Amino acid sequence: MNYSRKELITTDATMNQMRNSIHILASFMEKNEVSNVRERLRIMGHNIAKTYVRYWKPTETVLISNLKDVITTIYQKVLNSTITVEIDELENFVKVQDSKCALCKYQYDDITIAGCEIILGMVAEIISQISNNSSDSSSILLDPLEVSESQAYGNKTCVQVFKYKLKERS
Amino acid sequence: MGAFQWLMKKITKAFGRSTNALFYTLLYREILKEVNNITKNEKESLILLREVGRRAAYESCERHSNIFKFMPGSPKKVLDYFEILWVVVFGRELEDHSYEEIPREGSKYNDYLLKINRCPICADYGKDSEDTFKFSKLKDNDTEGLACGLCGMLEAVANFILKIRRNDYRIQIVEQSCIAKGGESLQILCKIYDYKEWQELINARTHERKSLGVSFEEIVDEEEIVQETKLDIIDKIQDVISIDKLEEYLDEPLEGVKERVSDIIREKLSMEPDHFFDYFRNYEDDMIRIIGFLGIHLLNEYGGLLEKAFKNEWLAKVFGYVFKQLKQMTLLFIPLDVIRDYNELLVSFLDGLAPLEMVENVKLFTGKDTITYLFEGAQLALENLGIEFTELKDNIWEELKKEREDGLISSETSTIDKTREKVPQIINIFQDVLMIFTDILTLPIRVLISESHYGLKTAINSVISEEEGLYGSIKERFDSIFDQIEEIRK
Repeated sequence: MNYSRKELITTDATMNQMRNSIHILASFMEKNEVSNVRERLRIMGHNIAKTYVRYWKPTETVLISNLKDVITTIYQKVLNSTITVEIDELENFVKVQDSKCALCKYQYDDITIAGCEIILGMVAEIISQISNNSSDSSSILLDPLEVSESQAYGNKTCVQVFKYKLKERS
Repeated sequence: MGAFQWLMKKITKAFGRSTNALFYTLLYREILKEVNNITKNEKESLILLREVGRRAAYESCERHSNIFKFMPGSPKKVLDYFEILWVVVFGRELEDHSYEEIPREGSKYNDYLLKINRCPICADYGKDSEDTFKFSKLKDNDTEGLACGLCGMLEAVANFILKIRRNDYRIQIVEQSCIAKGGESLQILCKIYDYKEWQELINARTHERKSLGVSFEEIVDEEEIVQETKLDIIDKIQDVISIDKLEEYLDEPLEGVKERVSDIIREKLSMEPDHFFDYFRNYEDDMIRIIGFLGIHLLNEYGGLLEKAFKNEWLAKVFGYVFKQLKQMTLLFIPLDVIRDYNELLVSFLDGLAPLEMVENVKLFTGKDTITYLFEGAQLALENLGIEFTELKDNIWEELKKEREDGLISSETSTIDKTREKVPQIINIFQDVLMIFTDILTLPIRVLISESHYGLKTAINSVISEEEGLYGSIKERFDSIFDQIEEIRK
């Protein structure tokens, strides 16, 4: 009997080749005149999240009080990354700094796009999926904003920025 | 499983960048979907996904080329080590699988069919609404399946090993049966081609890709000849020390090892063993230095860890000081009798292989000479890797002394500063006094090491059992260490 997706959650896989694959894919997209490569990568992340939450989610409710912990858990459990999270409650920004990004490591000459656009899309969607299924009206929805720094751009770490809003307001 | 096979798998797993396997599988699925979004043709998408996987793995291999130099250099052996390839590419154990050898007439090598009953790439494929790549749309049954990208990766790694080991054969790895496509198991067909046949296959693949109606940048020829470099002596040694051979050597007594070394020298270097060793006649000390030199370079082989560490000036310095200290301490702690015993082992090894004069010269070395030469060789290698021994101070404390950024000496030196200036010399004196005491205090340790050494020689035959003996216990402990490393890295 083959593996189930649920079983895969308990094991790890090496990302080195997949990380390179993303760069090759992005380059292939540009070569074939896909104009919205960044958006496509985020959509990949969204799709991953939609499937992923059926097999695992960090919590049942995401509130402003546990947002940091939820994000930290997602990065740790899904990507094996230990991150730093900053929340700007004035501007409603969430800034995640990952010094060992699973999808970015090298800077390429031919294309300047960060593999972690996928992560940006995925994390935002996991949280939004949880909140959409939650009855708590103060649940948080997360939107991907930008990858402001990336090892793919030559920076030392990757910084992914999200914008959050309350479910009730939206 | 052989010791080196086990070690390679552990190292690869412990030091690769891993994520959760479900994330890996879903990301793989999304890459295929995006390719299909461009081609709008399922068959073409699978051809391109294989190419994406092949290029991605080749890029990784190029970055860590040194580690592959230790892998076996013949196609059949590469396939024997398929489990390692799987771990290198996928980062997880190959479970529940079997091989079938399919005879191929007129060919030097047979084909191999590998059946893998559990495929993580296909796990539950089709159960979620995001699994939108439809295999049912494939009109041609001869196409590969979902694991074609993985096959591209495996093929690239296998052929990279053969290229780097300067072998003229290449392996084609194709998915024959796919669970997501309705097959009972993942079946991978491995075919071995000579260089000419392989070139034809590559040309046909390039032609097929170009006819797809999408642009896929053609890359530089991966088959270009590996340039001879200054480090070719290491390559030559690595031709000899590959993991499969080392496993065989470990199982054989000295005479067997000598026979094998002779065969390898004849086969790989096309010369008689005494002829080969004759190169080192009257340069026996250099031969021992080379052993020290290679020891350090071999340590550096996995991902150039030492070299990378030494790029940090402080780490390089600290390692340099530790090395200098070790050089001094080794002779303090290891009794010369023990070292002499290993010298005798070297003499027994050379006896019959090397010219008589050389054997006689090696017999003249004292234990202290051998250790000194080994350390000299090792120091040379460490210099190669980035430690500037000439810049190291007498002791590490001097490094801690802060200097002004402009390099000038202050005109207003206080008494405290003047005293501080003398601290390194004071420490040196303390250090030397301490070394004298240590010298005396190590006597019982030397006796213990001597006793253990001779005791070990007697005991060694009874403790090499993999399940219950020392080897098994050490392996278990290393298993635990690697697990801890993996945990820490998370």
